[in-house]
Amino acid sequence: METFRYTHLPAAHAHAYVALFDHVSNAAHLRQRIVRASQLEGPEGDHEREAVNFAFVDARLITSILHLQTAIYQAILAKIQGSLRTKTVHSEILWALSPNNNITEAIKRFGVSDSTASLIVVRVGPPEMSDIEHRMKTLVSGDPLPLTDLTKLTDWFAVRKCYKLNADPALKAPGLSIAQQQLAAGEIVVSTVAMKSIAA
Amino acid sequence: MESPTSRLLESATPISQGAEAKVFRAYLHPSLQRSSSELQSNASDIREPILLKYRFHKQYRHPTLDTTLTKARVAGEARAIIKCLRHGVNVPGIRMVDATEGVLGLEWIDGKTVRFLLGGGAEDEDEDETLEEGDEGQVVKEDPLKEYGVSQDDIMGMIGSEIAKMHSADIIHGDLTTSNMIVRHPTPPKGVQLVLIDFGLAYTSTLAEDKAVDLYVLERAFSSTHPASEPLFASVLSAYKEKMGKDWLSISKRLDDVRLRGRKRSMVG
Ligand SMILES: Nc1ncnc2c1ncn2[C@@H]1O[C@H](COP(=O)(O)OP(=O)(O)O)[C@@H](O)[C@H]1O
Ligand SMILES: [Mg+2]
Repeated sequence: METFRYTHLPAAHAHAYVALFDHVSNAAHLRQRIVRASQLEGPEGDHEREAVNFAFVDARLITSILHLQTAIYQAILAKIQGSLRTKTVHSEILWALSPNNNITEAIKRFGVSDSTASLIVVRVGPPEMSDIEHRMKTLVSGDPLPLTDLTKLTDWFAVRKCYKLNADPALKAPGLSIAQQQLAAGEIVVSTVAMKSIAA
Repeated sequence: MESPTSRLLESATPISQGAEAKVFRAYLHPSLQRSSSELQSNASDIREPILLKYRFHKQYRHPTLDTTLTKARVAGEARAIIKCLRHGVNVPGIRMVDATEGVLGLEWIDGKTVRFLLGGGAEDEDEDETLEEGDEGQVVKEDPLKEYGVSQDDIMGMIGSEIAKMHSADIIHGDLTTSNMIVRHPTPPKGVQLVLIDFGLAYTSTLAEDKAVDLYVLERAFSSTHPASEPLFASVLSAYKEKMGKDWLSISKRLDDVRLRGRKRSMVG
């Protein structure tokens, strides 16, 4: 697990705890749990909601740590400014990642699905959430990886399709190497997420 | 409570101040806290700065109108940039947006403005300050272009071709000057590049007239800021022409018209 510490943000949202898992074996169960938690009432509901109070992000669609950080940061900003488009800062991360404004679609595409094999788990909160890594690891059955391994899991084909990059002249210029194409694609993707709050 | 973005601005280093905006260099994301196997100093090396462009409040404007206008400007600049990126025009990537606070965060381009590289000096320095006159302690610098491995003429070609790419995407810059272009330092992964910046006045247009005016503004900027480099502007145009192909003809005609109008205006005024 890694921790992004934002010293200029108010304490309640100053930290983002982020863990990456590969070979996730309980995605379907996890998804059901998230759905169920949103429907449960009473103290049991509160307890379950807190247990899954994370952003679960399909790692295949993330192109870099910066990509993820950008979505997290914009979501925290919206939370602090009272301009969330979705229910929580965690669903807002998925909304920020998505190239369109449909919340259901954002969650479906960027969130956990039954077939998700590699997963990023994010929790935004105050400093000193000491048991958070343990909680992430009990929630997700999979191999924890350092976040720097993120780019090894990127599915560029899916990224290009999702962010509609295939028609972009930036990627079609003759003589571009695969690495150059990915550099250009990564830049478009990060910029798209950064400006999501003001996209037309 | 102080807003997150104003606190970020407080931590930032001022770079320049224009009529519309103050520009800062800042760090947005923390460095990754690595496992103990990596030194802390290593980790801080991977932190990349960003540029913050802060459109400050205009006292003379009604506050609500001011906020609305500022938001629109931030959004306009960001939209022009993403359109450029998708069209393969070299521009800084977008890193964060806080339209309510009037702040746009952009990729920091490590390099020098074309203005500086052509000897026009930094924007707030005296025009006639020559590098040979280096004061005590200040090392006399060699030709800064050497470090970049490009000639003046190469830069002109890069400028022409970047503007052509932008105009082919029907984006008009609106403020083409040599201060609004940075030559990116030749370090991997992107290497030496001409990067167009400052899309605060950019807009979309298919009209040859608008593209011609864009070029004319740059031509005037060259002759006033870099009189000695004026002949080099021909290289800008020839690279532009080559890239624009059949569209060049109508733009070229318009450029002649615009020049003529400009001359008449200066004779009258
Ligand atoms: N992305 C960037 N990376 C590095 N320096 C930049 C960047 N953008 C702007 N600058 C520097 O800041 C100056 C002012 O920025 P600019 O966007 O042109 O604002 P203004 O509208 O005030 O002219 C530029 O001339 C350049 O020297
Ligand atoms: Mg400028």
